[in-house]
Amino acid sequence: MAHLTDGTLRRMVDDPDARAGSDAAHLETCSDCKARFGRISEDAHSVATLLAVPAASVDAASAFQKVRGAPAASPRFGIRLPIARVPRRPLMLALVAAIVGVALLGTVVAKDMKTNYSPSTVQTVPVTVADLQALSQLADYGTITWTKQPDLQVATSAGDAASVSGIKPPVVSNLPPNFSTNITYGAMPQAQAVFTFDANKAAAAAAAHGKTLPALPKGMDGAKLTVTAGPAVGEIYGDFNKPSSNANDFNLPQLIVGESAAPSVTSTQVTVPQLENYILQQPGISPELAAAIRSIKHPDRTLVIPIPVKFATSKDVTVQGVQGVALGDNTGVGSGVIWVKNGMVFVVAGSIKQSDALTIANNLK
Amino acid sequence: MNIGARRMTKADSEDEAFEALFTSEYARVVGIANRVLADPHEAEDVAQEAFVDFHRLHSAKATYAPAWLYRAAAHTALNRLRSGRRRQRRELAQAAVEGERTMDPQKQAELNEDRRRLREGLARLAPKPALALVLRASGLSYAEVAQALGVGIGQIGTLLRRAEEALRKEVGRGTSD
Repeated sequence: MAHLTDGTLRRMVDDPDARAGSDAAHLETCSDCKARFGRISEDAHSVATLLAVPAASVDAASAFQKVRGAPAASPRFGIRLPIARVPRRPLMLALVAAIVGVALLGTVVAKDMKTNYSPSTVQTVPVTVADLQALSQLADYGTITWTKQPDLQVATSAGDAASVSGIKPPVVSNLPPNFSTNITYGAMPQAQAVFTFDANKAAAAAAAHGKTLPALPKGMDGAKLTVTAGPAVGEIYGDFNKPSSNANDFNLPQLIVGESAAPSVTSTQVTVPQLENYILQQPGISPELAAAIRSIKHPDRTLVIPIPVKFATSKDVTVQGVQGVALGDNTGVGSGVIWVKNGMVFVVAGSIKQSDALTIANNLK
Repeated sequence: MNIGARRMTKADSEDEAFEALFTSEYARVVGIANRVLADPHEAEDVAQEAFVDFHRLHSAKATYAPAWLYRAAAHTALNRLRSGRRRQRRELAQAAVEGERTMDPQKQAELNEDRRRLREGLARLAPKPALALVLRASGLSYAEVAQALGVGIGQIGTLLRRAEEALRKEVGRGTSD
């Protein structure tokens, strides 16, 4: 009989049941394995001694209260670009700021607040960290009231996700062969917030940051912007719910597919040019961003995708027969495709090559 | 029952399941992180972070919940150990296991130095053997360690041996003898 492996001998140290049968008989008669068993046993006990620590005394009840009161953590999946220094403030506020700031730039429907903006195409604009900070500070210029709270839910099946969001999750028909077929679904019903501009708050916020604001357009004080997002569904491919076979892959999704009703913004009291000018005059907004926004020909039909300069690249592509944008991060870690079709925004992204993202996107059912 | 009421019931039930999971597993999850960090306060931070992360994305009723938490706690604690942000030397010097309190001060100092070197070695180990060792040393069975790591139970002995052999070399002169 061959000698026992180190793994078998190590288990024999811990587990009396493992010291049975032919392996145990071999150990009894083999001096080589006996000597190795002795060394392995000694190492195991030495390391166990050094890893010993005084038992931690815990108060689970008070710890639970602490955990329950903890603010929502930042999302741990998705491609994270190294630009996220913005949300020092609560996450939802920053989210609204991003929607109000970025979406506003290209999508505001003015004159008639009843008109619903419906984008039919996407266009990228370059943003810097300073741009994002300036845009996120817009949240301090007024008051946000949720009329429909965002309610992101994790679902275990496509059917559950569809019943929460009202959208049937898209089906990936050509998943690359080495990809996990384990899918986690996310779903969000429509969320809506109203942002009311407040001249006094804007002045105070600007003063707090040591900045001077551009003159507030007439009617801006008290103007209400209604931002609507979703409903949306997402599916995340990967075994990140379970331990992976490679410890380095812990919690990393391989592919994310999302579909959402296009975000919309309606406003009262101020017009598109007024809002656009006001926002683009904010301290910190780069001339490049301002020029890119002003060059958009049909802001009411264009979904603006902010591209962090230095960290990501983009190019126009044709996907599902419409114009879309392919994104890549400069580290080569991931890529994605975004497009708008029939009033819905689609995203395919992951730790994949751009060509693979495009193929998956084109074959989405 | 309308949809809103159904969701509310689901949410309540999920909250209750999370509280039950927390109550039953918190001490063990802290124990795993403490095994790595030898610092009960930081270990509680790590454990609470693991529970918050879990609660955001997973159902507390999931069968994999305990295994996920064990691995997350060990993984995060090892990352903290690797980051070198902690004042490990001072903290380890304060740690005294039951039964060592009457030990000769010279011996105790040597033991503490060995513990410090062992944890330095632990931080340098490949992730999987390190996780296997920490989880097993924290009292998980071979089957539980295998489930947490997503590997076959037959691999655990090999992973443990790999970790212990490497660590024994790191410590060099041995243990408390």
